[in-house]
Amino acid sequence: MVEKRTSPLLALTSAALALPAFGATQPTTTEISARTSVYEEESVPASRVALGSLDRYDIDIHQFHVLAPLANDWSLAVDVNREVMSGASPWGTATGADGEPALIMSGATIRESRNGISLAASRYFADKSVTVALSRSDENDYEANAVSVSSEWDFNGKLSTLLFGLSYSSDDIRPSDRLLRDDKRILSVSVGWTQVLNRNAVLQSGISVTKHSGFLGDPYKLLDVRPDERLQWAVSMRYRKYFDSASGALHLDYRYYDDDFGVSSHTIKTAWYQNLGVRFQVIPSVRFYSQREADFYTIADDFTLPATVPRSSDHRLSSFGAYTFGLKGVFRHGGWTVSANVERYISDGDYGFSNADVEHPALVEFQLTSIGVSYTF
Amino acid sequence: MRGTLCIALALLMLAGCETVQPWERGRLARQEMQFEPDQQSRQLEDQVYYSKEASSGGVKTAGAGCGCN
Repeated sequence: MVEKRTSPLLALTSAALALPAFGATQPTTTEISARTSVYEEESVPASRVALGSLDRYDIDIHQFHVLAPLANDWSLAVDVNREVMSGASPWGTATGADGEPALIMSGATIRESRNGISLAASRYFADKSVTVALSRSDENDYEANAVSVSSEWDFNGKLSTLLFGLSYSSDDIRPSDRLLRDDKRILSVSVGWTQVLNRNAVLQSGISVTKHSGFLGDPYKLLDVRPDERLQWAVSMRYRKYFDSASGALHLDYRYYDDDFGVSSHTIKTAWYQNLGVRFQVIPSVRFYSQREADFYTIADDFTLPATVPRSSDHRLSSFGAYTFGLKGVFRHGGWTVSANVERYISDGDYGFSNADVEHPALVEFQLTSIGVSYTF
Repeated sequence: MRGTLCIALALLMLAGCETVQPWERGRLARQEMQFEPDQQSRQLEDQVYYSKEASSGGVKTAGAGCGCN
């Protein structure tokens, strides 16, 4: 009887082909993760508030995630999250006695929660995968239901991957202290391409186009009139390179964004993943964001214009720049991973490429602190 | 302008590509070489920036999912 033997090279090749790729690969293990985060915004200086509370949002966030392979080339991912938030938010902007903009803030009694759930089922084929996801988010004044379909196609010996995505969200808006009740729909399409450059580097680029329609304003602003349609597009690149000599990896991300509100932005993020032995990892990161204001943005609310004229004093539509500085530590042992990270976000009217004529007093600064645990088996 | 940018991106991706054999992809498979090594962290960051800045989208579709202020 002749014993059939497998060549070592063939076995090695087969094993290598089974390595997690950047495309359509079924997970081989089950992962359970839990994460708790605290988000804290800095108070607004009293000199910049005309009315209302100085304390802004604090949010406690809890996330739970399960990813499991199923028989016959399927996997299922479940994400559940809960947020509890309290604090005040800007209602509008007035011109103060000194001619400078002053905020009209809500009271500090806002206390809300948000519950979200997402289910994603993936089917894997020889060189592609298809994922269908359903998600729901529920707040006392906002409800969103979304469905998405995405696919990844490997080709060129799994050195290249094409990515496709399509999502639709239907949102109901019902502010707790207003008579308004309205809705919003969001349709988004994305195409991406991942390319292995060499044994140590990989590049991904993509473009997304998103159409918003319906009520697109902030229902809690005293005066916020926006067009009822918004077309957004964004192009992005993500680069990863592993350095053998340093036992670390460089992450470099860039995104250019533009929309028909007149907003455009640049986002650059870089991170360094430094391995310390096989169990520890330290990850410092820096993110830079620069935004140009919307065409209808105004620093102070103008109640004299006709009600149909678009205008908004929302600081998120103003020209500004922002930096995020982050530091994360990861410890791995057996199937366990424990991580902790802290991020600090600062923004200013002069940080960006398009300096604000007058800086909006509500530009936010916050700190985000997280701890997470996951187990893989 | 947009067309030129897209063409430049495509050329950049094609330039300098090497054939990498399956047994040479160990480093690419490392966790720190993934585009999103920590999904939960990424989801949270996306939501925070979505609610504090006017931009969204990129490689993936841009959803909403909250009335975050």
